[in-house]
Amino acid sequence: MTQTVLDAREDRWNRRKAVAAGLGKGWAVLSFTLRLPAFLRLKRRYESISELLFDDLLVFLGGKGIESSFREFAVHGDGPEGTCTVRANPLEVKKLCVEFEESHPWGAIADVDVMDREQNAVGRSLIGIQPRKCLVCVSPAAVCVAGRIHSEEEIKRQVDEILSSPPFFPSERIIRHISESAGTALLLEAAAAPKPGLVDPYSRGAHDDMDYFTFLASASALAPWWGVFARKGWNSQGKSPESLFPELRKAGLRAEKTMFAATRGINTHKGLIFSLGVLCAAAGLLAAEGRPLSAENCTSCGASIVKNIVEKDFSGIKQSSADAGSLTAGEKLYLTQKATGIRGEAEQGFPSVLHAGLPELLSGIQAGLSLNDAMINSLLSLMLSVEDTNILSRGGKEGEIYVRETAKEALSAGGMVSEKGKEAVRKMDILFSEKKLSPGGSADLLAVTVYLYLLTQASG
Amino acid sequence: MKAVKNSAAGTLESSDVLVSVIPAGGSAVSLSVDSIVMKQYGRRIRSVAEEMIGTSGLSGASVMIQDRGALECTLRARLETAIERSAAEK
Repeated sequence: MTQTVLDAREDRWNRRKAVAAGLGKGWAVLSFTLRLPAFLRLKRRYESISELLFDDLLVFLGGKGIESSFREFAVHGDGPEGTCTVRANPLEVKKLCVEFEESHPWGAIADVDVMDREQNAVGRSLIGIQPRKCLVCVSPAAVCVAGRIHSEEEIKRQVDEILSSPPFFPSERIIRHISESAGTALLLEAAAAPKPGLVDPYSRGAHDDMDYFTFLASASALAPWWGVFARKGWNSQGKSPESLFPELRKAGLRAEKTMFAATRGINTHKGLIFSLGVLCAAAGLLAAEGRPLSAENCTSCGASIVKNIVEKDFSGIKQSSADAGSLTAGEKLYLTQKATGIRGEAEQGFPSVLHAGLPELLSGIQAGLSLNDAMINSLLSLMLSVEDTNILSRGGKEGEIYVRETAKEALSAGGMVSEKGKEAVRKMDILFSEKKLSPGGSADLLAVTVYLYLLTQASG
Repeated sequence: MKAVKNSAAGTLESSDVLVSVIPAGGSAVSLSVDSIVMKQYGRRIRSVAEEMIGTSGLSGASVMIQDRGALECTLRARLETAIERSAAEK
């Protein structure tokens, strides 16, 4: 056990006590950590697992009528941890926490501590429950942990076994559907070919720093995060959608780290983490409110989550920082061309997806096109309407005009329906790649389109 | 090294230990141990604590250990910190 870990724990303990000391009557503080040895707990893989469990805990308690507030999830020196306050009798809530630990499919690795406002830890013994069993065997956990009874391999094997079951309560099938729709959408979008200027299985398009496998690695690493976003939406029922966004953004930053670790620093899905993160949360929120998961509901709920984001994110940008060279590509484009990119798209409720991408995908499928070909046509129609900052930053206004004109030609030649159209798409791919034009914004919205298609297909 | 003020190190979280040091008159050090794994490791905890108190040269204190199943290395680190804090100048 390193000193960093020990200090982080002491810190957490002191923070908890401080929160407990400030509690009102009838409240208790919950502290969530992973019940795993440090060699596992401190690995990045367990961050999303932990956040998912913490969110599930809040869903679970909410379902039992327990109100929570002051929710905070963070990764400190001792690993991931969640804190919140709950309006409940400490003994009652401890009972529910034990029920969660024992009934959630991954509950065995969750550790939920309860503290009352007198700063007393409310342990299992206080509610007349036997000490917790070890992860691996039937002895009390404390005996095995303190005595280092089990080897790291033995513990790792057991934890993998636990995590091999899907992390969903039966009542949560909808969350699973949302998260799988998003995960699959990333894979389908990456596999669709030929995508002009973009990475697909046969070509790197305009990119020399990434290929199809980079996208597969990224999609696979991001898969657990979609459920995290969906749960956050589910949890925010009854609050204003806008208030959900800061929490989503924090989780999004952590998801980005996961992505960069998987791609060795290449940005594959940063824009998509934003869009799909918001739309997974939107779907979760709709599901919690019992509203149908239609594309319209989902995108308009997404829009209310990111309300005023263009102004919030861009209003502070100044010419002086542009001169100093401290702006991102998106910020510069806003300053010089008022381009709002994906933020604008999201804020307006994803009009390109709703009015171009999705109708084109659906009509292609109805016309009997393969999913691949319908996706390519959908991508072409997205190129016509999306304000693609990837194109604007590399090719400027001229690049945008060029992309739109060629996409229009390919579509009017029938797109993937006709040989002539297919030839036009192949030609676009060669030309875009040469000119280093990569319509990444449109590609992200194709993934959003496919997500909404998969989401609404089964539940609509 | 005389204990000059109340100090604590550690937590009551599972697999951790809370060590408290309280200054007492005289030069003796009293030790109390409470552990959820008293039956299995109580003697070991006590002997580790006695050893560390001995090497630190702590005097005039009452040391209280509330163990929640900590590893031995954790117990040693917490004891060291609590003793240091108790003797430190403020």
